[in-house]
Amino acid sequence: MTTQTAPKTKIKIAYFDFTSCEGCQLNKLNLENHILDLLEHVEIVEFREAMDDKADSYDVAFIEGSISTPTCVERIHDIRRRAKILVALGSCASIGGINAMKNLQPIEDVREIVYGEDKYLFPTLPAMPLSAIVKVDYEIHGCPMSIPEFLQVFKALAMGKAPIKPDSPVCVECKLRENECLFDRGMVCLGPITRSGCDAICPSFGQFCTGCRGLVPNPNKNAMLDILTDHGLSLQEAEKRLLLFNSYQHPDTFK
Amino acid sequence: MKRYNLLLQNIPDFVKHLQAQGEVLAPHTKGDNSFSFDKVTDANNVILDYNRTLQSIRKFFLPPTERLLNYSLTENTFTKVEIENNQRIFLGVHSYDMQAVLKLDFNFSDRTPEVNYLKRRENCTFIGVSFEPDDFHFSRSVGITVEATEGFDIFLNRHENGYEVQVLTERGEGIIKGFNALENAPELAETNRQFKNKIKFNHNRLPEVMEQSWKSPVWDEVAKRCVGCGTCNLVCPTCYCFNVVDNVDLSLKDGSRDRHWDGCMLNSFAAVAGGENFRETLASRQRHRIYRKFKYITDKTGDPWCVGCGRCAAYCTADISIVEIINQLSDEFEQNYLRKSAAPAEQII
Amino acid sequence: MTLSTQEHNPRELYYPEMAEITAIKQYTELEKWYEITLPGGRDLEHQPGQFAIFSLFGIGEAAISICSAPSKKGAFDICVRKVGMLTEKLHQLEIGQKIGVRGPFGTGFPVADFKGKDILIIGGGIGIVPLRSLINHVIDNRDDFGRLVILYGAKNPQELLFPDELQKWNDDPRIEYQVTVDQGSPEWQGNTGVITTLIPGLDLDLDNTIAAIVGPPIMYKFVLMALKSKRLPDENIYMSLERRMKCGVGKCGHCQINDSYVCLDGPVYHFPDIKNLPEAI
Ligand SMILES: Cc1cc2nc3c(=O)[nH]c(=O)nc-3n(C[C@H](O)[C@H](O)[C@H](O)COP(=O)(O)OP(=O)(O)OC[C@H]3O[C@@H](n4cnc5c(N)ncnc54)[C@H](O)[C@@H]3O)c2cc1C
Ligand code: SF4
Ligand code: SF4
Ligand code: SF4
Ligand code: SF4
Ligand code: SF4
Ligand code: FES
Repeated sequence: MTTQTAPKTKIKIAYFDFTSCEGCQLNKLNLENHILDLLEHVEIVEFREAMDDKADSYDVAFIEGSISTPTCVERIHDIRRRAKILVALGSCASIGGINAMKNLQPIEDVREIVYGEDKYLFPTLPAMPLSAIVKVDYEIHGCPMSIPEFLQVFKALAMGKAPIKPDSPVCVECKLRENECLFDRGMVCLGPITRSGCDAICPSFGQFCTGCRGLVPNPNKNAMLDILTDHGLSLQEAEKRLLLFNSYQHPDTFK
Repeated sequence: MKRYNLLLQNIPDFVKHLQAQGEVLAPHTKGDNSFSFDKVTDANNVILDYNRTLQSIRKFFLPPTERLLNYSLTENTFTKVEIENNQRIFLGVHSYDMQAVLKLDFNFSDRTPEVNYLKRRENCTFIGVSFEPDDFHFSRSVGITVEATEGFDIFLNRHENGYEVQVLTERGEGIIKGFNALENAPELAETNRQFKNKIKFNHNRLPEVMEQSWKSPVWDEVAKRCVGCGTCNLVCPTCYCFNVVDNVDLSLKDGSRDRHWDGCMLNSFAAVAGGENFRETLASRQRHRIYRKFKYITDKTGDPWCVGCGRCAAYCTADISIVEIINQLSDEFEQNYLRKSAAPAEQII
Repeated sequence: MTLSTQEHNPRELYYPEMAEITAIKQYTELEKWYEITLPGGRDLEHQPGQFAIFSLFGIGEAAISICSAPSKKGAFDICVRKVGMLTEKLHQLEIGQKIGVRGPFGTGFPVADFKGKDILIIGGGIGIVPLRSLINHVIDNRDDFGRLVILYGAKNPQELLFPDELQKWNDDPRIEYQVTVDQGSPEWQGNTGVITTLIPGLDLDLDNTIAAIVGPPIMYKFVLMALKSKRLPDENIYMSLERRMKCGVGKCGHCQINDSYVCLDGPVYHFPDIKNLPEAI
């Protein structure tokens, strides 16, 4: 019988980093155990520095870090042109992450700043996720990015299928692991409206979720604020908590 | 029915006696203030006096994640997964959780009997224990007393210095045989523990209340406070919905098809290709959950499909209480339909 | 209490049977037709309107309607729209490759009760797929039924499925076939407009006509309204509904419409049974 769903050829991948907290850097992450298995399926054509003569197209480009300078903007356009699939690694790249905290002054229309005639006059831009500038096919969330999710997406792409985009909240994974809820230990946790996919790693170790994977689709943010304030946070503290990782995507929501 | 007395100091020996006959699963402490059913390794760690476990014993019959089959991508073939059905003794089960297992027995044997669940249900012995209802339990309102023994082989009824042991089945008798540290049964007054938390109406009227509640404003009010986290489904001992996913290992040569618990409160539970989501709003999902407990299955079986364990309310971070929802709907029903009993009830559904 | 499971006849519900793809036709950019052969050419033994769950290892499973009539022996047909994981991968397969099959599942059209009746088929978009099994059943047992009226609507002429058969339906003197597209093209000579525009002009023997409707969720309400103004009795209406499905056997819960499980009680419903289900249409 012929192999139907197992991959036939190696996929060409490239990896780049932009402005990030450096927490995600692929090479630093605990991937050692998996790296040999992964390399079986891929050919790494670029690593960190794009060199024009090296490769002009990639099947998948993995990018970490957010966009914060005009040079980044040019570079990301260039990568997008060469990449069939573009994957954002970690919250800096996927949702702007903590880098976006600095934009808490209202962001004007970002695109206008970027493409306006004065663009070279701005040495730094508000920190933005990649998706503010180019189309992003898949996002691996988390700060640092979630390794299980990275492997999940990697395997799916190597098999030529679309990775599953988790859209249920962290509480689901927490319940599957039968954790005691941290609210019952007097803490407050962002699990109820944060996108799952990390196997509820923080609550499982007694740490509340800070929301590093961004919000679920259609979050009921007002209800979440009520929960936080009912459990002892002031409204201001509650808003700040929610903004930590969501200030780019939801700058106005919590004001 | 044979009755004995088990003194508190003899409980560890009783547990050891059970361990000699099979795997024993019993409540243990978990975290700071919680309990969970786990395999007993040290008889001294078993807790019989607890309010509720985080998850009910359904997790042993319908595991949170379960492998349905293994496959080889290179061969394009699959192998079956063996389903374990060893002797298992469940010690310290509350009446409502036993009733929940009996309900799941129905769901998994009705119309398309599923071997995965049913095989795991074989060779199980259940030893029940009484409990003191807390602010969340309301089993009495759905027809389940603390002392209800249906489903149990042995029931332990707490009294001042120990437990009255009620041996209910032959299996129970077999299990207890050879354990000598039992005394004669104490003379106990009929116990009938009271619940603080109550549904206003008799449960057999709730389908009628639901019939009139489809368009109630209660759903939207609850939806404003609900974050749709799915906790109320995932902790419910009578919920059994699941999702199925294919996972492959890093070699991309082998993998498994796995199922895991899912819940109708979650955003994409009823979403299909083309962007249609048949229960898009939190209000419609909350309504579906409540109807599943008090109308849909009830219409078919005659019983509520909620056992009053109180988990969904106790573990809801938004403090949404199923009892409050039901009572609000009942109040509305009373005002809209009973007071004007002369007018025929409007057909809403 | 231990459960004696023998009395329940527990079944292995989730193991597929491996079947072979024996023919493929590409109809549109998104839709392909496949002929599937079970081991030894065994018949699936389905009713028109039933579905099966198809799977590829490492990818997943999806519910797909059987679109051939039971009268086709030795193999059966499906027609698949590429929308997601399984269907996309299925589109890459070739003749001779194998896929997993579980089923048939769900209710079919009660064709025995339709004998002697006029059959009115109303199919929108990919809804024509499950209806094709009913159409072919009527064609293959032509003398058992009265008139066969087929109304078919698609978004545009490029999206029409079964192009080879549409011509036959059109040419067959015993089939009254009408097709419409929402948006025509320069070459399109036929009707334009939504499918409901074809209904007022029909001349129906109301008591003796069975309507079978399948289409996108939005379509049902309008078709039902149009049939109501024709005064077709509700008892004469059947429809097939689609919901999210994970198991196909009444366990996973995804397919529920109020208290009904589409994989067991549907997908084919008798309209009077669901007209009071607020989530149905
Ligand atoms: C009874 C019945 C008969 C059918 N007959 C046919 C037929 O004959 N031909 C045909 O082409 N189709 C048919 N379908 C539809 C088909 O089953 C679906 O389109 C199915 O989703 C395709 O599977 P997939 O893996 O390709 O898509 P999926 O990868 O499942 O994705 C399709 C879409 O479904 C949603 N979705 C699915 N899974 C998830 C998830 N885990 N999280 C979030 N969203 C999700 C998303 O909107 C996604 O875009 C039928 C469905 C039913 C119920
Ligand atoms: S600890 Fe956090 S993630 Fe876990 S259940 Fe509680 S709120 Fe949800
Ligand atoms: S639990 Fe929350 S903070 Fe921790 S990894 Fe998951 S999403 Fe991030
Ligand atoms: S547990 Fe509470 S907040 Fe979460 S979905 Fe249920 S009712 Fe809503
Ligand atoms: S609905 Fe709530 S109270 Fe009822 S059985 Fe489920 S978790 Fe327990
Ligand atoms: S439909 Fe909802 S309430 Fe019913 S079993 Fe499934 S998750 Fe539980
Ligand atoms: S598809 Fe699983 S219950 Fe219907």
